[in-house]
Parts: sequence; structure tokens; C-alpha cells
Amino acid sequence: MSDRAQEMILRIPSDFRYLGAVDAAVQDLAREFAFAPDAVNDMSTALIEACSNAIEHGNRYAKDKRVTVTLRFNGDAFTALVRDQGRGFDFEAALRQPHPPDPMSERGRGLLIMKAFTDSMRYTRSRDGLCCELIKRRSGDLEGQEWSAD
Amino acid sequence: MKITQREVGNAVILDLNGKLQGGADADTFREVFKSLVDQGKKNVIVNLEKVSWINSTGLGILISGYTSVRRAGGDLVVMRASDRIESILYVTKLNLLFKSYEAEDEALKAFSATASE
Repeated sequence: MSDRAQEMILRIPSDFRYLGAVDAAVQDLAREFAFAPDAVNDMSTALIEACSNAIEHGNRYAKDKRVTVTLRFNGDAFTALVRDQGRGFDFEAALRQPHPPDPMSERGRGLLIMKAFTDSMRYTRSRDGLCCELIKRRSGDLEGQEWSAD
Repeated sequence: MKITQREVGNAVILDLNGKLQGGADADTFREVFKSLVDQGKKNVIVNLEKVSWINSTGLGILISGYTSVRRAGGDLVVMRASDRIESILYVTKLNLLFKSYEAEDEALKAFSATASE
């Protein structure tokens, strides 16, 4: 398995209705690479949050902008890159917010979910927009996580 | 997301079907809860059995509903959440806000106890 690798690229409109397609792609690809179902669900949960952020805060639902999702499997890890085409959001400020937020707050849990369900979460900014990288390792659990913004 | 509404005892059960993810769902959910509160129906059980997943915006929708019925003196509980959704509630500590039940009769008992107090 370790010498196998596969990549899939999805480009979805800036619309929440397409989040289901991302989940389906993750489930299909992960099944092929025999990832444990719980780990696949964890990754999909985090990825849906990253895409939700890209749609809402990055592209701001703009019809002419797309979210590009790159799914990459190798023997030991499942990596997802989520790129938007907008100005992004102030993730540094978001990372400084209390997690979880006030229980009655209707917002502010996305980064917490992304962090909790992956082994590594990282945001990077470029001229083209924000990129979120999520990594779920085959043997990953909820210990020893990395969480950073470059 | 499709919402089917039914009344059992002194509670309203909302059977959700689909993905709880914000967007148009948020408006639909708010309208449903406004209508319920306007009718004096403030004990709500949200059946998540057929909800495949939920994102943070979807959690916000549930919290909005919870706030509406609590202000009216009622409560919102959830039932039949999948392990995937339960783990999201746990990570976000919303398991402390939403009582969660596996069976419908258990959820209904929560409101029966409230009515007899």
C-alpha cells in the first residue's frame, strides 16, 4: 500500500449544496484505500468545515468563484487541500478566539472541529487566496495534534 | 434538508432528513421554530436519525432553535444522532447543551417529567 498514491481534484461552486459531493468523494476514495471508517468520517467532517469556510468567508458565495479541493492518499496519510479564490478570512484572529465559544453562540466552532478531527491543520495565504491543508494519518487519533497558521 | 413535523404527547418531533449545513436550511429551520413558538409549542425533539452529517453552521441552526424554545419556557433535545454527529457534539461541548437520547420514548419522557413538575 505504501507505494500507492492517488489524487483527486474537485472544483465546486461556492454553494453549500455541493458539500455533499465532497463528502461522497472522500468516502469513495478512502474506501478504495481501506482507511478505517471512523477515520474517514473524521476527515470528511473536517473537510466539510474547511469547504464551508472557503465558500462563506473566502469566496463569500460568489457564483463566479470556485473552491478547489485536492484529495491525496498515500499509504500512511490522507491529505486534503482546500483553496478558495477570495480574500479569505482572518484565520489568525479566528485562532485566537476561545474554543469552544460561548455555548449559546451560533458561530465560531469550525476551526475547533477541523482541529479536533484531523492530525494536522494549517492555513496558508497566497495571492490567489487561502489554502487550508488537513492531514489525517492512517493510525491517527486525537492525540498529538498540530495546529498552525503560516 | 427535509423537515417533517409530528406531535406526540406534549412534544413536537421534527424528523430531519438530509444534511444539516446552513444556507437555505437556516431560513427553513427558523421559520419552523417561529411557527412552533407562536403556537405555544415549545417542547421540541429533533430527530437526527436521517441526518448524515452536520457542519458548524448546522450546529448554529440547532442552537438558534434551542434559543427560541428556551426563551418561550420550553426545551430542545435531540435523538438518534449517529456516532459521527455525537462526536461533533462532544468535541464542541454542545453535548452539555443538548440532551441526547437514543430512543423516542426516552426523549418523550424528558418532557413528561417537565410537565409533571
